[in-house]
Amino acid sequence: MHNQTTLNVFWIMVKRDLLIQWRNWAEFIFRVVMLPFILILTYGYVLPKIGVLPASFPNDLFPGMVGMSLLITGIHGTAVPLSMDFNNSREIEDRLQAPVPVMVTAWAKMFVGMIESWIGALLVLPISLIFMGQSLRLHLTTGNIFLLFLILLLSSFASAALGLLVGTIVKPNQIAAMFPGFLMPVIFTGAIFFSWSALVKLPFYQVLVLVNPLVYINEALRHTMLGASNAMPLTYSLLGILAFTILMGVMGMRRFRKMAVR
Amino acid sequence: MTKPLLEVQNLRKVFKKADGSQHVAVDDISFHLETGEIFSFLGPNGAGKSTTINMITTQLTPTSGTIKIAGRDIRTDPINARRKIGIVAQHNNLDRGLTAFENLVYHGRYFGMTTQAAEQRANELLADFGLSEWRQDYVKSFSGGMAQRLKIARAIMHRPQLLFLDEPTTGLDPAYREILWDHVLRLNRQQQTTVFLTTHYMEEPERFSDHVAIYQQGKIRALGTIPELRQLVPAASIVYATVDAVTAPLLQELNQQPFIKEILQKDEKNLAIFPNTNDQILQQVLPIFEKQPVKLENIRLSFASLDDIFVHVTEHPTEMEVKTHA
Ligand SMILES: Nc1ncnc2c1ncn2[C@@H]1O[C@H](COP(=O)(O)OP(=O)(O)OP(=O)(O)O)[C@@H](O)[C@H]1O
Ligand SMILES: [Mg+2]
Repeated sequence: MHNQTTLNVFWIMVKRDLLIQWRNWAEFIFRVVMLPFILILTYGYVLPKIGVLPASFPNDLFPGMVGMSLLITGIHGTAVPLSMDFNNSREIEDRLQAPVPVMVTAWAKMFVGMIESWIGALLVLPISLIFMGQSLRLHLTTGNIFLLFLILLLSSFASAALGLLVGTIVKPNQIAAMFPGFLMPVIFTGAIFFSWSALVKLPFYQVLVLVNPLVYINEALRHTMLGASNAMPLTYSLLGILAFTILMGVMGMRRFRKMAVR
Repeated sequence: MTKPLLEVQNLRKVFKKADGSQHVAVDDISFHLETGEIFSFLGPNGAGKSTTINMITTQLTPTSGTIKIAGRDIRTDPINARRKIGIVAQHNNLDRGLTAFENLVYHGRYFGMTTQAAEQRANELLADFGLSEWRQDYVKSFSGGMAQRLKIARAIMHRPQLLFLDEPTTGLDPAYREILWDHVLRLNRQQQTTVFLTTHYMEEPERFSDHVAIYQQGKIRALGTIPELRQLVPAASIVYATVDAVTAPLLQELNQQPFIKEILQKDEKNLAIFPNTNDQILQQVLPIFEKQPVKLENIRLSFASLDDIFVHVTEHPTEMEVKTHA
């Protein structure tokens, strides 16, 4: 009975967030599509076409684009509304006042972040097909698809957890600084434009980028989608995603609780 | 004797300020509210009223002390506490991306109402608070008073047992003040809803409250019914005089009278005179004004208003004997 109402309230909160996002769908699509679009256009089409990058490059780029779009969309989708809610509009107070654990509000926010991250990952598909469709050589088997689904699920959870942490730390006036200060480093050290194993020539850098969850996500995707032998072993990348999810989740939950009951 | 609905014991809140120093916002207060009473919590700006409400409503963790709602500690059972609570916050915390109607319906749904019940009640409340016409409008387009009305409607959506009103009538025109009180009193009478009110408009507690606490710098200076509080001022009956201009010689002359206990100058024209006696006061006071070169515009004798009690209590903080209704 009690759990039933808690679950109901969770879905109502999810519905509220989705409704608000739905009302801004054009802005949402624009925000989610622009980044992969411009990167795919440049690195997946223009540079290979003019010979600056090898013709095989787009194929290596594709998993990275999926991972990046998923992670960035999920972080953004959770963090930005949370930061605004807590610090500016204080709209969240009404939900925190519901007769359910305050964490239900956090779970609902994360769930919506996860849905958004999936949409982010999905939208990469049509863009990739348009600009680098001929270069893609994916190795997807039935078993792989199940694994791929698991990786995407885990990664979207990681992105929502990271969003929860970021959203409860960053103030609205700092959101503008988030792009150059946080998202850009995550993108450019995130094993999108290179495979992690290729960094062996830069051992220091190779170790350094391991703090970036996107490295594990992209390596796992690269492994599954391309059957790439040069990708990080799947056990490591999966463990990496899992460890990050747990760490960010625990820290994010703690921060959220602090913000919810000051 | 029945258990009080709300019990607050030795509640304290210390904030860390930006410069690292500490600020005691709520300083060891205790009080309780019986089911069905209307309780007014009055205090100057920054006294700690909202901080107290935030702690009771589980939004802020106390530094120390206990809060019980219906006999249960809110720290161990915050969910049960929130189920009983409705809040009109001092600031606008409405859902800006939702319509007025949706704000109410979602709120009802968070509190376990069915969609049908929530929609029906939302429509009723929107009509009562004059918002039917703006039912489908986004809250971000609302005027201050409209938003305030919607906040009130939202707080009573789920028929709370304990309603917190943090300066609810600020920004409301007189007609909607009456409508608000109409609703609150109806909830209070029909469902025994207990009301915790903070306000700077003294006529509201004067008309509606059972108990009033006068609160200042984190401490309750006085607490009781209005007749009880009246006994804290130097005289139950006060002479209110209005002159063209209060002069120093006039004050001096008044101060010398043995039957006058205290004089409170409210502004450049108005005086409140607290007499020692209740006998023939006006007859004794009038000649003093006549002897002075001031023009007496108005003089009357009346019970001490809550305004005067408030001013007196907050201006004589140390002399006050704190009353608790235990
Ligand atoms: N989060 C906070 N951090 C630091 N100080 C705070 C915080 N919240 C409130 N205070 C301080 O606590 C004191 C009490 O504030 P509070 O908002 O409770 O006053 P109030 O009685 O509601 O006043 P008002 O009539 O203006 O609404 C003020 O001095 C305020 O600056
Ligand atoms: Mg206040």
